[in-house]
Amino acid sequence: MKEIYIVCIDDEPDVLRAVARDLAPLEEGFPIETAGSADEAKQVIDGILDNGNCVGLLLCDHVMPGKSGVRLLIELRGHIELEAARKVLFTGQAGLEDTVEAINHAKITHYLAKPWDKEELLKAARDELTSYVIATGRDPLPYMRYLDQTRLAEYVRQRNRIDTGQ
Amino acid sequence: MNLKKPIALFAGIALFILPFFLELEGLSLMGHITLGIFLLAAVFWVTEPIPIYATSLLVIFLQILFLSVQGPLFQLNEVPSATPAAVEEGVWEIPAGALQDGERVLLLVNKNRAEAVPVEVVGEDAETVTVRSDLVAANSRLVLDADHWLLEFPAPGYTSYLNALANPIIILFLGGFVLASAAVKYQLDRNLTRVILRPFGTKPAYVTMGLMLVTAGLSAFMSNTATTAMMMTVILPIVAQLDPNDRYRIGIALAIPFAANVGGIATPIGTPPNAIVIGALQEQGVSIAFGSWMMLAVPLVVVLLVFVWWLLLKVYPAREERIVLDLSGKFNLSWKAVTLYVVFGLTVFLWVTEAWHGLSSSVVAFFPIAALTAFQVIEKDEIRNLSWEVLWLMAGGIALGISMRDTGLAEWLIGLIRWDAMGAFLVLAVFGFVAAGLSNFISNTVAASLLVPLAVTLGASGILAEGVSFEMNAVIIAVGASLGMALPISTPPNAIAMSTGMLRTADMAKMGILIGIVGLIIALALSQVLWPLLGLK
Repeated sequence: MKEIYIVCIDDEPDVLRAVARDLAPLEEGFPIETAGSADEAKQVIDGILDNGNCVGLLLCDHVMPGKSGVRLLIELRGHIELEAARKVLFTGQAGLEDTVEAINHAKITHYLAKPWDKEELLKAARDELTSYVIATGRDPLPYMRYLDQTRLAEYVRQRNRIDTGQ
Repeated sequence: MNLKKPIALFAGIALFILPFFLELEGLSLMGHITLGIFLLAAVFWVTEPIPIYATSLLVIFLQILFLSVQGPLFQLNEVPSATPAAVEEGVWEIPAGALQDGERVLLLVNKNRAEAVPVEVVGEDAETVTVRSDLVAANSRLVLDADHWLLEFPAPGYTSYLNALANPIIILFLGGFVLASAAVKYQLDRNLTRVILRPFGTKPAYVTMGLMLVTAGLSAFMSNTATTAMMMTVILPIVAQLDPNDRYRIGIALAIPFAANVGGIATPIGTPPNAIVIGALQEQGVSIAFGSWMMLAVPLVVVLLVFVWWLLLKVYPAREERIVLDLSGKFNLSWKAVTLYVVFGLTVFLWVTEAWHGLSSSVVAFFPIAALTAFQVIEKDEIRNLSWEVLWLMAGGIALGISMRDTGLAEWLIGLIRWDAMGAFLVLAVFGFVAAGLSNFISNTVAASLLVPLAVTLGASGILAEGVSFEMNAVIIAVGASLGMALPISTPPNAIAMSTGMLRTADMAKMGILIGIVGLIIALALSQVLWPLLGLK
């Protein structure tokens, strides 16, 4: 089965460590990869896609040495495999202009302010990944225990079928 | 690399070819071919190297290819025949081989059917016979080999296999699908749940009872999958509020899928195995009306639900005093939704009152199909979203059953077992337990498809003379197929409940096995007491 990855991008190793720790409850269902810069992020994403897996959630810092997070997300729009991926801008330093650009051009699906609350981060990741599973038409059952169960159950009701079992 | 699929594929194909190289005593050539198709279907359905509905379609394709007049087997082979030579008016010279025992000749009607015609022998020599008959004509084709394999099996046209795809019972199911799809679209299922649950209050025992009742009732008319998913959305909020160590959580998470599995038994459209059984009985000239099925099944469902309710509360007692469900919401009153309510109510009314008006349930089922599409209550999107693959899966099962009976394979297969050592009741119990056991591991529909032709033939063949009813055997298979619910893979409702992470497989297995056994015991008891009174011979 294709695995759905979470990719976290931030130039501060401490932040990456903390985010990975906060998202640990999801890791069994959604492997987490981290990258310290925009360029490294591209390599990580290519590696995931080359192995036949997909990226469900990009959690991206904005202010980084070199390319900014918003710029990275805009560039990644060229990747058709990332079209359905949910994009979270994760920053405390984006001004109005950057934020507008992130929404209009990078098409982010969620904005999370730093410093963050652990529960809030986890909830945002859950919501976004639930949307990803539904939007991509995947069998929701393998992800049910990690994500928003009510939304996924409603999806099964509407679709009236599941892929596993009979 | 995973070798399971290639091995399953190879085994299925090898078993399909094998009968072509065997000469099994008492089995016609066509029976051999059907045996090959049966073995391939059994291996593919059980091991699933390809999806189970694809196997069904493959079965129908192979039947058209090998068992229909239009197939190459019948097109490329011919029964050796000769035309008569006229001697004088009504007197013909025919090859000696064309004269059959008892002064008859066989005239080919078509590729594989011949008609016996009496003749009067007026003279014969070494190679020819002179006969008198008004029924022979100059263009008659006289069969030279009366034992030719082509004449053994009156192969039907390919349309009779394609007909399985629109078998009345499939249409009945399609009607159910259309109604259910519209019900989901206009939230009828959810609103009914809300209204019915309200009087059950907040006591945990009554809440469980209400949830099970609604689940069973809805799954009797809608798919067990959609019902379970909808009920999950009802219970998830309350489960989230309970203490993680409260065992009531487990009880409630098991109550929904089990009630859905059991509720499916209640009506012909509740679950596909019921349809397979009713379809097979119809082929034998026994029609079970919608209402009659419910009279057989509902008592079983009710008694079993009460048992499940009692069992789950006993094993997983509630700690809280009050369980409050969110029952807010209101009925959709747009004209399309109201049309749906009327059509839904009328259809169910006509189904259960078949005995009064005599319109068969399949005919009635076409009413919602026509009405809901005409009023555009359901549209293209919903039509595309119907579970067509379930219908195709059922069609393959029905088509296979027809061939097994017509070619004599079913009779040959049951002849392999010494049934006369068993009494009628034991046979019934064996079919029930085998069906339930199999459906724990394979699709319920498939289990019914494989077993029903055998059960029906066993009853009809007269091997067991006294007291064996093929109707009873067939019904117990449908019931058994729904009672296999011990594992997460047993049924879609089980899979959904397990996926929430609220349960351990051990919880489901312990309760599921117990409920399956108790359910079969109740069914077997009813088969001795109630069912005969309802006319099930």
